[in-house]
Amino acid sequence: MKLETRKIPESEPEMVEIRYHWITEEIQEIISFVKSRQGQLSATRDGKRFEVPVVDLFYAESVDDRLFLYTAADSYEIRMKLYELEDLLKNKSFFRVSKSMIVNLMKITSIRPALNGRFSAVLKNGEEIIISRKYVPALKQILKGGES
Amino acid sequence: MTGKKWKELFIQALRLYTLLVTLIVVIMMILGYLLDRDRVFGYDAFLSPLVYALIGTVATVITRSDQELSVRNLIIRKVISLLLIEGVILLIALNADTIPTEKSWVIPSLTLAVFAVFVLTHIILYFIDRKEAEKLNADLARFQEKQMNG
Repeated sequence: MKLETRKIPESEPEMVEIRYHWITEEIQEIISFVKSRQGQLSATRDGKRFEVPVVDLFYAESVDDRLFLYTAADSYEIRMKLYELEDLLKNKSFFRVSKSMIVNLMKITSIRPALNGRFSAVLKNGEEIIISRKYVPALKQILKGGES
Repeated sequence: MTGKKWKELFIQALRLYTLLVTLIVVIMMILGYLLDRDRVFGYDAFLSPLVYALIGTVATVITRSDQELSVRNLIIRKVISLLLIEGVILLIALNADTIPTEKSWVIPSLTLAVFAVFVLTHIILYFIDRKEAEKLNADLARFQEKQMNG
């Protein structure tokens, strides 16, 4: 695929143009990446494609090598690895709470102790997720304004 | 396991050990005062809370896992660790000359004391974690407010 970049005057809006013959997996990946940079994630539900706004996302969970996104009431599948999504969303209030999950800190109502030094986070839709003990020091750091 | 993880594990184990020593001393004092007030001990008696606490701390290895344990799985492991502690403590008691296991009240009291220490430890650790959670909630509220105000 040929790549072309062009410097433009500040008066013109910045844009990404993708010229394609067919929407292949590679093209779709590039589209998904650009959209995610704009605050949307391309995901599927029941075989249909949806653009999920990052601000609506509650958490993402990896199950058997498949990654799922959860909003207040819906779930979607996204073709991405958890660490890739984590990297993409790291400046957007998302935080790794366990080996298989990242959560939107803006969607947490409260944190309370769970068994064995773990904590659980109650989300705004009433769901409860476990914060693994291993990630608690990093959480403290990020909530105090530092990078994890 | 990384150095940071080892350090964290060591601090947690030390916290638990200290708590267990304190609770065991208190329980031993209460039980002794109620059931065997006239008994006199040598200096070696100071060693027993340290040994029992070590057994209790080592037994928590059962509840540790690199994988995220479900609540059910964790409770099962907790019960196994309690049974293991009970078993080891009773085994020590039955083989120690200093513990009068021939008296009918000793074994049930010891079993109950181990259970009481186990439960009390969990209650105290829960309150410590709750205090930590309160602090996390305050920091979370500040974080969310800061993010919303850009």
